[in-house]
Amino acid sequence: MAFRFKVGEDSGRDFMRVRSLFVSLCIFGAFSPVALAQAVIEGRVELPKSHLAPVVNKRYEIVTKGGVLATSPPLAVVYLEGSFPKTAAPATKQVAQKDLTFVPALLPVRVGTRVEFPNEDDTYHNIFSYSPAKRFDLGRYRPDEKPVPSQVFDVAGLVTLRCDIHEHMRGLILVVDTPHFVTTDVDGHFRLSGLPAGRYTLKAWVDSRTTRERPVELKSGSTLHVDFP
Amino acid sequence: MKTFRIVVSIALMACAIPRAGAEDFLDRVDQALTFSAFNDNVRGRLSGTLDLEGYYFQQPAPGLILSKSDAIFNPRLSLFFDSQLGPHVYFFVQSRFDRGFDPRDEGAQIRLDEYALRLTPWDDGRFTLQAGKFATVVGNWVPRHLSWENPFVNAPLPYENVTPLEDKRAPYYGYFTGVLRAAKYEYIPVIWGPVYATGISVAGRIGQFDYAAEVKNASLSSRPESWNATETGFDNPTVSARIGFRPNQMWNFGFSASDGAYFRPEAMATLPNGSDIGDYHQRVLGQDISFAWHHLQLWAEFYEARFEVPGIGDADTFAWYLEGKYKFTPQFFGAVRWNQQFFADVPDGFGGSAPWGHDLWRADIAAGYRFTSHTQLKIQYSLQHEKNGPRDFGHALYAQFTVRF
Repeated sequence: MAFRFKVGEDSGRDFMRVRSLFVSLCIFGAFSPVALAQAVIEGRVELPKSHLAPVVNKRYEIVTKGGVLATSPPLAVVYLEGSFPKTAAPATKQVAQKDLTFVPALLPVRVGTRVEFPNEDDTYHNIFSYSPAKRFDLGRYRPDEKPVPSQVFDVAGLVTLRCDIHEHMRGLILVVDTPHFVTTDVDGHFRLSGLPAGRYTLKAWVDSRTTRERPVELKSGSTLHVDFP
Repeated sequence: MKTFRIVVSIALMACAIPRAGAEDFLDRVDQALTFSAFNDNVRGRLSGTLDLEGYYFQQPAPGLILSKSDAIFNPRLSLFFDSQLGPHVYFFVQSRFDRGFDPRDEGAQIRLDEYALRLTPWDDGRFTLQAGKFATVVGNWVPRHLSWENPFVNAPLPYENVTPLEDKRAPYYGYFTGVLRAAKYEYIPVIWGPVYATGISVAGRIGQFDYAAEVKNASLSSRPESWNATETGFDNPTVSARIGFRPNQMWNFGFSASDGAYFRPEAMATLPNGSDIGDYHQRVLGQDISFAWHHLQLWAEFYEARFEVPGIGDADTFAWYLEGKYKFTPQFFGAVRWNQQFFADVPDGFGGSAPWGHDLWRADIAAGYRFTSHTQLKIQYSLQHEKNGPRDFGHALYAQFTVRF
């Protein structure tokens, strides 16, 4: 945007308008979520030992493929709990079924997120969950299924995904009631940025039985270091 | 009826345990029973099912239930060990502790029902070689014959309805009067359950087609004792095969055939002079079809079986069923099945001919509920009609509670 200053009697009035606009922007900016989202939390979560690779039950499959299934390393989800302003509906996420595993094996989403479950194998899958946070059964569906089967996760909690056809398949969706969450890397490191100042509870979900938490006070522009041993 | 109520009560009590906690506990049991070594190249998993079954029926007991009372309680613990040795070798074992392979009201057994080593040289599944004691490649019921996968408590009619033919004694003219003279366990069906006989198989998939063939020590109609290599050798092997066509994931069509001697060694003394067990075969042709789409699954199988009977000729029978399962909710499902079997005529020894068995039909209806992904309750009612049988209609009620770990 460019402002053109006129020379003459209107020039002073224009200058005043521009100054008022500049001041307004500064005031608005100072209290807007964008400007408030300045704090950063980083740290490390102590992760559990690696999962063992599953053993596929092939007893009654006349035709079986060889190969060893890939395993996802254990990861944690770190999220900030508190009261945050409502935002627009979260973007749609995906958990694919590929090579008879869920990809990703752990997906954190905000409450209200729609998750699609595309089948990228050349066989049927039947994704279901009996978890209290979301109970559903997508039935058997093909790789080219349109629309891609999906579910909206509208209650916070842990949802365990399974396949009715492939007993070994397990996936997790952690539904959190906050827009501020992140998955750690394989070493447990995390960085949550764009956080508003204030007092909150920082939680680290490690597995179905372990969620660690720590109260935190965030100040604008600060970087807080938190480890979950 | 008391037995039936006991099973349902146990199921309901077990399900009063908080579901999420129970599910998480059994998931952890699953992880604890998985082993790994040599950088994950050798992996093993111990798993199993505990089935508590109750049957309430009119005499004579239906199918392969062996009981003189009208109700029996049949607990069964099945343990499985699956092992993956590198990417190309798979080994599995199934052991059961129960009151016999077929439900009966006395005794207890521990058996090694299955064990097999499978080699898969190529990753695309074009060829596998398997050796051991394992389920037959014939038909499409085997993949769902275990309690967790089977929508019903019992098996389809061709797998459990005994014909008037024995495998320990050859019949004689006038034998097929329709009255079973011996104890039911002396008679044989067209296919005895999953037929865990001993032998080798090859299987694979090429494009939309799949194939499987096996050479086993016992016929499809053979009794569980015959499946062990120590009991029945390979002097008279049975050869079975199936060709499958899968145009897409929804449909699967299969054609099966089997040929092998069906008499046990005990029958030798009753065979005509100069003849041998290997002279009398059971020949089976089978067609199967399955369909699956979202919450609906359908299966059908058709079997034409011929038994070569000494002194009588060919005794033919045709058995078929159509089975459907539908999931009404994520946890509640229902299933229905229509079964029929027909018997052809054989010489009656008086210059005429008569059917060698009683034609019958059976309607099965079942409902199941999965409390968690590890616990399931099924209830089934069956109505059987047998033409000229001991009674026109027979009723049976089944309950089965399963814990899978």
